[in-house]
Amino acid sequence: MILAERGRLGAPPARRRVVAVTGAAQFLGSNLIGLLEEDPSVRAIVCLDSEAPTTAGAKSRVYNVSLTESLAEERMAEILSAEAVDVVVHLAFLDSPTHSTAFAHELESVGTMHLLNACRRTKVHKVVMRSHTLLYGAHATNPNYLSEKHPLRARRTESFFADKMEAENEVLRFGRPGQGRMATVLRIAPMLGPTVDNFVTRYLSHRLTPTVLGFDPLWQFVHEADAVRALRLAALYDVPGVFNIVGGGVLPLRTVIKLAGRTMLPMPRSVASGFTTALWLTQLAEAPPSFFDYLQYICVADGALARKELGFEPLYTSREALIDYANAQHLRDVRLLSETPA
Amino acid sequence: MKRKDKRPKHESSANPSARARPTQSEQRGDARPPVARGDQKGPSNPKRKARRTGRNRPPAAARPGERRVHPPQPERSAPSALTDEHAALVEAGLSDTDIDSEEAFELGIGARVVPPTTQYGEAFESAPPEPHERKSGDVEAQIRALEARLDGLIRQRHFADPAAGSDADDSAPSSERRGPLAKTDSSPPARVEPAAPPVEDFISRKWGRSAMRSRSEEFDDFGLDPSFEQRVKPVVEFLYRSYFRTTVEGIDNVPAEGRCIVVANHSGAVPLDGLMLRAALRIEHKHRRDLRWLAEDFVYYLPFAGVFMNRVGAVRACPENAERLLEKESIVGVFPEGVHGIKKLFQERYRLQRFGRGGYIRLCLRMRAPIVPCAIIGAEESSPLLYRLEGLTELVGLPYFPITPTFPFLGPAGLLPAPTKWRMRFGEPINLDNYGPEAADDHVLVGRLSERVRSSIQAMLDSGLRERRSVWFG
Repeated sequence: MILAERGRLGAPPARRRVVAVTGAAQFLGSNLIGLLEEDPSVRAIVCLDSEAPTTAGAKSRVYNVSLTESLAEERMAEILSAEAVDVVVHLAFLDSPTHSTAFAHELESVGTMHLLNACRRTKVHKVVMRSHTLLYGAHATNPNYLSEKHPLRARRTESFFADKMEAENEVLRFGRPGQGRMATVLRIAPMLGPTVDNFVTRYLSHRLTPTVLGFDPLWQFVHEADAVRALRLAALYDVPGVFNIVGGGVLPLRTVIKLAGRTMLPMPRSVASGFTTALWLTQLAEAPPSFFDYLQYICVADGALARKELGFEPLYTSREALIDYANAQHLRDVRLLSETPA
Repeated sequence: MKRKDKRPKHESSANPSARARPTQSEQRGDARPPVARGDQKGPSNPKRKARRTGRNRPPAAARPGERRVHPPQPERSAPSALTDEHAALVEAGLSDTDIDSEEAFELGIGARVVPPTTQYGEAFESAPPEPHERKSGDVEAQIRALEARLDGLIRQRHFADPAAGSDADDSAPSSERRGPLAKTDSSPPARVEPAAPPVEDFISRKWGRSAMRSRSEEFDDFGLDPSFEQRVKPVVEFLYRSYFRTTVEGIDNVPAEGRCIVVANHSGAVPLDGLMLRAALRIEHKHRRDLRWLAEDFVYYLPFAGVFMNRVGAVRACPENAERLLEKESIVGVFPEGVHGIKKLFQERYRLQRFGRGGYIRLCLRMRAPIVPCAIIGAEESSPLLYRLEGLTELVGLPYFPITPTFPFLGPAGLLPAPTKWRMRFGEPINLDNYGPEAADDHVLVGRLSERVRSSIQAMLDSGLRERRSVWFG
């Protein structure tokens, strides 16, 4: 089965690996652990998070650590060397923008630095990091499909982007060739699916979904299962570099909202920016006003490199991921209405 | 309406299960397939009818007692291999409904048309087929067991042919793409579904066993909306045929197939030449070529205009987009004058502005595409620019603020182009094949080639203008 999927790159390395997963209790982490649990080429999984993942099984060893604690680096190094970890999958990032930017900075930017220092002190030879295609930034001047070479142009004033860009830089510096280490960065498109919960799913779950009058940018999604599969591939096969993980096809925002079964609330640009600022400050909106760009301009990445080098073929297109999400959402709505679990 | 939508799909979905049935009986060593098939056809039809009519009844699980008082059906009196038959039937029935609901996805029937809840609801409602139901009241447990068995079959199938995937898959036609559910029927290997990548167990357990694969995207990669284009088509054709009375010369110079770059002069306070060029190749070319033209950046900053242009076929001008289009062997319309073309004043009409940095020449050299020069005559008078206010650019987000004889004095209506007579002339294709792709880095060469294309278009413009007698009637 694995052979069939890999095709070009052949079987995974002969030595069975020990994979450490940070952010193990979060969505991507716990699902990746579930996937690695049944993978014969993984010897053990080291789960690093402040709580235990629900999917931890026989192969998993759960450690209760946090990247924000003061001695994170020492503790991480201890655990990584005690378990003889080969690969670290770094997923301890916030999926959605938060008001507590100081904590986010400690976790994402500083925490990544601590983790990488711990990796340098041990025999970890590879780090896989989860990143976002949103980091390319939404601009009218973007090409329709952004390749991995395109510079990251998201607003650096927004800490959600700035922290992740810093972390990405750190990881790429860790994997710079000539040091016997490697780094794989997966820039994952906004995830949709029946179980994932992030700011995009929350944005699409509003009955009235705000949009910008006169703008209808193309959007792109990846299904949650595909994101998890991509992480597995990156953890098990040594393909260094940056890859966009996206579902096929694009959808205009208007169609996205229609398929999600919501109603558009188009607002003129001048009104909308003030409105969203107010909503964000009162904690009613799921994203700060700097995300407003994504409602106006295109930010779509090209997944060709991941297909070629990583052998990642998405099972779902953007449209199918959206429909899968919408199905679950409607089911949830109906259940909430009837209050009788089916 | 929902029902109507579902009907034909249902009939079509009956086929795979029918195909599956004999093979299942073969698996069990059943030595009389034709008889078995005849037997099964009987009960399967009432079952279907029951499903059709039984939608309004309460779910089957809620009325086992009511069903049990019914007298036994005639086929009950044939007890030989009855259990097997039932199992096969149930299985067929189950997979039938499963395919039913799954094909709805595959065919791109989204949440709007058939709400997913009703689909699942229906599937469950109709899932317990009647013979099965008569046998025991515990329908749900049996469904579970059968589903587990189906999963087991799928898994077996996965492990049985691990290596068959990568090699055989690529050659198989992609139109036969089906969900992994199809793996349950052991049809001849020629029809084994192609590159559907194997689904890991964890994934299949958590997200269902099908990975849906429909390619029925409404939108193409660059945001062209075919249905929207269809809606504006009458307007475009009216503009093309009746308003501008466009005539076309030398359209055969545009190749019948393969990639190609059409280079034309740009004009107009409201540039319609891209749209008309697309219409011309659609209407006049023998092979109905599909042209995508590259539009300047500023359009995409504008509300409505950017979206409109995108939906009718414009693509933002940048090398990445052009390369992608040429890789798909389509025709790319380029206006190398760019913004300088549309902001030239009336007295500068038909005098080609500088051709940028020759990016389109580099594109041709890299992508090995021929250039077809095109002169558009008449467009430059249709919205004559008398003056441009540069000071207001920041305010309106345009590279200039146009003053035409009618705009802004007549308001937005003043932006309507004048009904001049348009003539499009396509010149001999310029082939750059004798230069290698590395020539794209030779700046001097690129400049010279760009100048050559420019002068050929200028010559076509000049000769066309000499032949023209009237701006309005050509």
